[in-house]
Amino acid sequence: MPEIANLADLAHVHMLLNHFPAIGTIVGLALLLLSFVRKNDHLRKASFEVIFLIAMATMPVYVSGQAAAETLKGLPGVSAEAIVTHNDAALGSFVMMEITGFLAWLALWRMRRAGHSTRGLTYAVLVLTVLTVVAVTRAANLGGGIRHPEVEGGLYAGIFGGAPGRPLLSAADLKDFVLQHPFVWPTCETLHFLGMSLMFGVLMIVNLRLVGWFRGMSFASVHRLLPFGLMGFGINFITGMFFFIAASEQYTQNVAFHWKVILLMLAGANYLVLTVYDEAWALPASAEAPLSGKLLGASALVLSIGVMYFGRMLPFIGNAF
Amino acid sequence: MLASLDQSAFSTWLLSSNSIWAYPTVLTLHTFGMMVLVGSALMIDLRLLGFGRGIPLSSLERLFRVMWGAFWLNLLTGTMLFIADASKRGTQPLFLIKLLLVGSGIATIVLIRRRIFDGTNEPRVITGAARRLAVTSLLVWSAAVTAGRLLAYVG
Repeated sequence: MPEIANLADLAHVHMLLNHFPAIGTIVGLALLLLSFVRKNDHLRKASFEVIFLIAMATMPVYVSGQAAAETLKGLPGVSAEAIVTHNDAALGSFVMMEITGFLAWLALWRMRRAGHSTRGLTYAVLVLTVLTVVAVTRAANLGGGIRHPEVEGGLYAGIFGGAPGRPLLSAADLKDFVLQHPFVWPTCETLHFLGMSLMFGVLMIVNLRLVGWFRGMSFASVHRLLPFGLMGFGINFITGMFFFIAASEQYTQNVAFHWKVILLMLAGANYLVLTVYDEAWALPASAEAPLSGKLLGASALVLSIGVMYFGRMLPFIGNAF
Repeated sequence: MLASLDQSAFSTWLLSSNSIWAYPTVLTLHTFGMMVLVGSALMIDLRLLGFGRGIPLSSLERLFRVMWGAFWLNLLTGTMLFIADASKRGTQPLFLIKLLLVGSGIATIVLIRRRIFDGTNEPRVITGAARRLAVTSLLVWSAAVTAGRLLAYVG
């Protein structure tokens, strides 16, 4: 299979994307605050959507960062320590970001079902988004510190970047944990397959209903199952990141992994549309979905099978175990 | 007998061919079949446990056809994978456990179909027995996936 990106391209992708998590979360937070001022649920929905999409986009930012680290390693003037500090801060903020994105999705799902935003979830997203903004801007600033000596003399240079102390999460410790205990990798693989089955079961029912192959169930009734799909995705996201952090060189240079991440991003966006999809929401049991719904359903199935295909092919097209 | 399967031309082709259409594709189809079969079973189990109550059971009937399709696909691809590695798998306790678990999973599906999806009228309440069957199915299928996945790691 032809390569679509080498390490330098991925380092470039990291440069292109690495401001999105910080700025995107700030925009999401601003929209959310504005929704309180204007008492407007449309704005609130938009803020949850922005936060969810940014949480998705943070994944390629994190994984491309590993490629950037591999290209920078050993270059003169690059401190290995600065890379480790940035990586650990990035990992911590990545975790925060995903929890926030998950809750934002849940808030959207609840909102679609209830017809309005619900207070508990809205405040939970608000608090987590504030914390995520702090964590992610700190990680971004530490990243800037790797190769930007021009700002080092600034009066405020130390505010974010100062002595980091012991990080909450250390990528190196996590890597050791996965590699030094022989049970961890097989356990994660097992969970990864279970999560995949759960996720695909939900995708199959919801999307085959939209396509029209399943009849006799309202869209609202299958919409109820969507959190199980996201639960499966969550299991796979966590176990997948364990694999990636433990053996990133197997993935950063693996074209099957590149395709998998691209398809995953599209599938995630598709899932978001499915969650908030107004035209389908009111579909009674016997009605056919509009053409947009059929296309959405068909693309979701193709994308998710594609994600599975490239995941399974990681050892064969690329070199992952 | 098992060794002769190992040494068959088919086994050599499946394992030693560098073609993406050999071992990688058969394994991927096996994974696809697993995902469809187990995914469908989990959905029926969840519905019986009370999630997605708005989904009429009769509308899920078609899932059984999907499951049988996936089952036959995996019987075929599984047989191919077995032939390729017969003397190892044929004597491996975990492999036999996996087959037993898959058989039990299929049995739970058949029982669910016969007892709950009788095709006549929509049951008003899901009985305790139906829920127990759903929990059993959920556990057995999870165990089957676990055993199958661990075959790659346990000697």
